[in-house]
Amino acid sequence: MEDKRGTDEQLDAQRASDIVQDARNRATRALVIRRPVLFAVWGVAWLAGDGAIWLSVRGQRPYAGPTPAALMTLTFILAAATVATVILVGRAASGVGGLSAARRRLLLFAYLAGFVAILVLEAAIDHAGASRGVIGVYGAAAPVLLAGVVVAASAAALLDWSVFGLGCWFLVVGAGSGFAGPVAVWGVSALAGGVALLLTAALGGRLRGL
Amino acid sequence: MNEDQLDPVIHAPARLRITVTLATLPAGDTLSFTRLQDLMALTPGNLITHLRKLEVAGYIQMDKTGSGVNAVTAVSLTGKGRAALESYTAALRKLLDTVSPEQPE
Repeated sequence: MEDKRGTDEQLDAQRASDIVQDARNRATRALVIRRPVLFAVWGVAWLAGDGAIWLSVRGQRPYAGPTPAALMTLTFILAAATVATVILVGRAASGVGGLSAARRRLLLFAYLAGFVAILVLEAAIDHAGASRGVIGVYGAAAPVLLAGVVVAASAAALLDWSVFGLGCWFLVVGAGSGFAGPVAVWGVSALAGGVALLLTAALGGRLRGL
Repeated sequence: MNEDQLDPVIHAPARLRITVTLATLPAGDTLSFTRLQDLMALTPGNLITHLRKLEVAGYIQMDKTGSGVNAVTAVSLTGKGRAALESYTAALRKLLDTVSPEQPE
């Protein structure tokens, strides 16, 4: 069959409508970042990462902090989730420039700067003589608060209500989970944060047919 | 209404695909020539011919940066192009409704 992709062949209305639908589907699959998949990746990472820390600290009396093996596991899980994110975003965003790309860069910078600030403040709290328990609560809750602010602020800019709600939920989890104490805070964070991300992924996937 | 009344700049298979693909991106975003070529599966010469027609109509904008092997051409849909595609698809729906009106129950 002759390929007429590049020619000005005659088009009837039905064929034109089919082309519009087909081109829209192809472009969406190729150029739109699959956020439900990203949410699922980070949901699993959150659940497994904070869950690993919780498994390592549960039963500690007094609280002594996560074991090196648990911290290594968390680091590995975060690295794997980051690699998956880079691949997913990179595939869709390849060749795309302009406002979205600039917005993504600024968002990444804000998140990384916030994470470094959290680590610096944790060192300052430690230096000021805070107990292991206080440092444990801070270490579990502060990243959740940061994620909440970044997710809610970025969603607000796009008027994305479901993701804005997710960001606000992170703020509730970050602020409230600390009351569970330095041991349980990790388990509460893993469940409340990870499951919320997985639910958002499932909801988004159903709506988008992913 | 018939097909002759549809915007002739958009009403060609390749240009229709190009316009719809660029419209998938949010306003303010650009797509590199090479990625667009990859998505359209057209030869560079063929693609540039269609892009020039769309550019002359004011539907797209092409910005070239760098030179030689480092040259990158960014293509984006203009506000006029986005509006033209909306008018085109609305006219297309109207035309299809006229051709095959829904049967009354």
